[in-house]
Amino acid sequence: MLRRLVTLSLVLLVGLAVGQSNPWEAYRGTTIVVNWPATYHFELAASLIPQFTEETGIEVELDSVAYVNMRDRQVVEISKPGRGDLDVVAWVVFTKGEYVANQWITPLAPFLINPRLTSPDYDIDDIVPAFLLAGGKVGGTKGYLEGPGASLYGIPFSPETSILSYRTDIFEEYDLEVPTTYDELLETAQFITDNVPDVYGMTTRGSAGHQVVHAWLLHLSPYGGTVLDDDFNPVVNSPEAIAATYALKTILENSPPGMAAAGAGEQDAAFLQGQSAMYLDRSIVAAEALDPAKSRIAGNVGYALHPVQEKCGSETGGFALGIPSNSQNQEAAWIFIQWLTSKERDLEIAMMGGNPTRTSTHANPELQAMYPWYATVVEQLPCADADWRPLIPEWGAMNAPILGDEISAALTGQKTIEEALDSANERLRELLDRAGYYGW
Amino acid sequence: MRTNRFVPYLFLLPAVAILALGLLVPLYNSVMLSFYDWGFGQPWSARRFLGFANFERLVTDPTVWASVRTTFVFGFWVVTLEMLIGVGLALLLEKAVRGASFIRTIFVMPLMIAPVVVGLIWRYLLDARNGVINYYLTEIGEALPFLQALGFKTQTWLADPTLAMVSIIVSDVWQWTPFVFMIVLAGLQGLPGDVMEAAFIDGANWWKMTWHVKLPMLRNILLIALLMRIIDVFRALEVIFIMTGGGPGSSTRVLSLTLFQTAFTSQDLGYAATIALLLSVILIVFSIVLLMFSNPLKDKADF
Repeated sequence: MLRRLVTLSLVLLVGLAVGQSNPWEAYRGTTIVVNWPATYHFELAASLIPQFTEETGIEVELDSVAYVNMRDRQVVEISKPGRGDLDVVAWVVFTKGEYVANQWITPLAPFLINPRLTSPDYDIDDIVPAFLLAGGKVGGTKGYLEGPGASLYGIPFSPETSILSYRTDIFEEYDLEVPTTYDELLETAQFITDNVPDVYGMTTRGSAGHQVVHAWLLHLSPYGGTVLDDDFNPVVNSPEAIAATYALKTILENSPPGMAAAGAGEQDAAFLQGQSAMYLDRSIVAAEALDPAKSRIAGNVGYALHPVQEKCGSETGGFALGIPSNSQNQEAAWIFIQWLTSKERDLEIAMMGGNPTRTSTHANPELQAMYPWYATVVEQLPCADADWRPLIPEWGAMNAPILGDEISAALTGQKTIEEALDSANERLRELLDRAGYYGW
Repeated sequence: MRTNRFVPYLFLLPAVAILALGLLVPLYNSVMLSFYDWGFGQPWSARRFLGFANFERLVTDPTVWASVRTTFVFGFWVVTLEMLIGVGLALLLEKAVRGASFIRTIFVMPLMIAPVVVGLIWRYLLDARNGVINYYLTEIGEALPFLQALGFKTQTWLADPTLAMVSIIVSDVWQWTPFVFMIVLAGLQGLPGDVMEAAFIDGANWWKMTWHVKLPMLRNILLIALLMRIIDVFRALEVIFIMTGGGPGSSTRVLSLTLFQTAFTSQDLGYAATIALLLSVILIVFSIVLLMFSNPLKDKADF
C-alpha cells in the first residue's frame, strides 16, 4: 500500500514537472497522423518522435510510405470532404501548387501568429529563405514564390541544394584548378577524360523523363535561363537555355558510357566508385562519399561552389511539411511541425546525417567540423535559386512528358539541340494554353 | 422432362452480369471521360465538357502517332521472332529428346517472373558500366581484337535509340517466346496419332509432315497464340517502363507508355481515356482481321 502511494505521488510529481514545462498541455492526449516518405532523413526524424510525445503529450501515429506512392496516398485522404485522417503531410516541392490549387492544404499564418501555439524562439527568419520559398510559399505574381499575394503553406523539411564535389587526389596529381565557371568546368572535365586513365571528368543523370530534366535544370539557372518568363511564356529555346543544353551535352560526353540512360543512383555510383572525378548535383552525395561502405573515394573528396556562368544559381528541392485542410487536429499538427523544425531538432537531425533547413544549423561550427561540406553549402545558399523550376500545378505535365522527352532526344542525337528545344517550347505553350494561361 | 426455355439464360445471368460490370461499365466510363477535361485527384464535379476536342487533339498529336509507330515496330519484331522461335522450339522438342522435360522447365521460367523484375534483370544485364553483357563483350573483344569491329566492345545499350529498341525487343522475346512454345507444344501433342502415322506410311519426311500436316492442323492454335501475343504487345508496359522509361528521347515510348504518362504523369485523365479508346480500336481491328482467317470458337471442322 505504502509502495503504491509512493509510486502514485512520484508519477504525480513527474506529471506536474512536465506539465509546467509544457506550453501545449491542452493538447495532451491528442493523436495526430503523420504521412511522409520512408527516406533516410525522415527515418532520422522518426527516431525523435518518442521524445516529442514525452515533451508534449501528443501521440503520433506515423504513416511512412514509399516516396513514389506518397502523393497518391495523400490525395485520397486530403481530398475527402469533411474529416480527413491525415494531420501532417510531407510533399515534394513541386506538388505544392497542385495541393493549394485544390485547397487540400491550409495556410500556416493562423498558427504562426497565435502566441499560445508558436514559441517566440521558433524564429522563422532563420529558415533558409530559398528553401522556405520553394517548399512553402504559394501565391505571389509567379504563383510559387514571394510576393504581395503569397502565403505560407509549408515548412521545408529535408531540403537540398547543389554543390560541386571533386576528387582531391586527382586534382592534386594533375595539378588542376577547381573550376569556378562553367567554361572551366567543361574544360577540366575534358582534360580529365582525355588524360586520367579509367576516369571520366564528370557524371550525370540522363535517362528520359524527370531525371534528364533535373540534370538540365542544374545548368539552366547558372546559364541565366528559365523555363517560363514572367508572363508564363515558355522560353526553353532561349540562347541561355541552348547554351545550358550544350553544356549538359559536353558533361554527358565526359561521363562514363551509358549515362544517357542513367538515373540519380547510377550517377552517384559512378562518382562513389571512383569512375568520375567531379560530381555536380545534390549536396547529399557528400555524406555518402564519407561512408567507406558505400564509397571508394572516402577521404579524397573536396567541395566547391556550384560553378557560375552568367550568374550563380543552384538547386532548390526536397520536401516540406504542412497541414491538410480536412485535418481535425490542426493545432497539434502545427505543434509537431514546429517542434520538428525548431533550431534544436534541426541541428540534432543534421548531426545524425539529415538535411538541415536553417541558416543557423548550416553555420554551426560543430556540424561543420563533423561534415566538412557544410562550410561550402553555407556559401552556396545565397545562390540557391527558389525559381529553379516553375512550381506551378502544371509542372508535372511539363517536366517528364515534354522536357524529359525532347532533351533526351537532343542528347542522344535524334534531334539537334535547337530542334528539340523549339519543339519543347511549342509543346509547353500548347499545354499551358490548354491549362488557361493565355485565355485572357 | 422439359426445361423452361428461360432456365439456361437464368444460369448465364451471373456470368453476364459480372462481365457487364467488369467490362461494359469501365468501357462506358472511359468513353464518357474522353469528352471531358478532368484532372487526377479532382472531384468529378470539377470536370469540364470539351465535346470532341480530345479527339481533335488526338488526331493531330505527333507524340501519340510517333508512339503508335514505335508500338508497331516493336510489335512486328517481337511477335515475328516469338512465333518463329516458339514454333521452331516446340517442333524440335516435341519428341522425347534426352532431357526434354528439363529443357522445357527452363524455357518456361521467364514466364513465371514478374514483369517488373524482368525489367530490372535486363536493366542490370545491359548496364553500360557494370553489366554482365558488356563485361563479356569487352573480354571477348580484348581476347580477339578483330571482333571489336563487329561490336565486341562496350555498348551503351539503353542510351542509344536503336540499341534501346533492340534491347526491349530481346527482353520481350526472352520472356514471351516460352508462352508460344507452350501453347504450340500442347497443340502438337494433341494431334491425332493416326493422321501422323498415315502421313508417315505415305512416305512424308519430317519437313513435309511439319509443313503439310502438322502446321495446317495447328492453324487455330497458332492464330490464338498470335492474337494473344499481339494483344499483349499493345499492353506491354512495365518492362519498358523500367528498362528505358520510353527513352532515349521517345525512341521506345510505346502507346501504352504514352497512355500511362498522360494519365498519371500529366494527370490528364480525359485525354488519356481518348488514347485508351484509340488503343482499343487498334486491338479490335487486329482481332477482327485475325478472326476472319479462322475463328476457333465457331469453326470446329478442323479437328
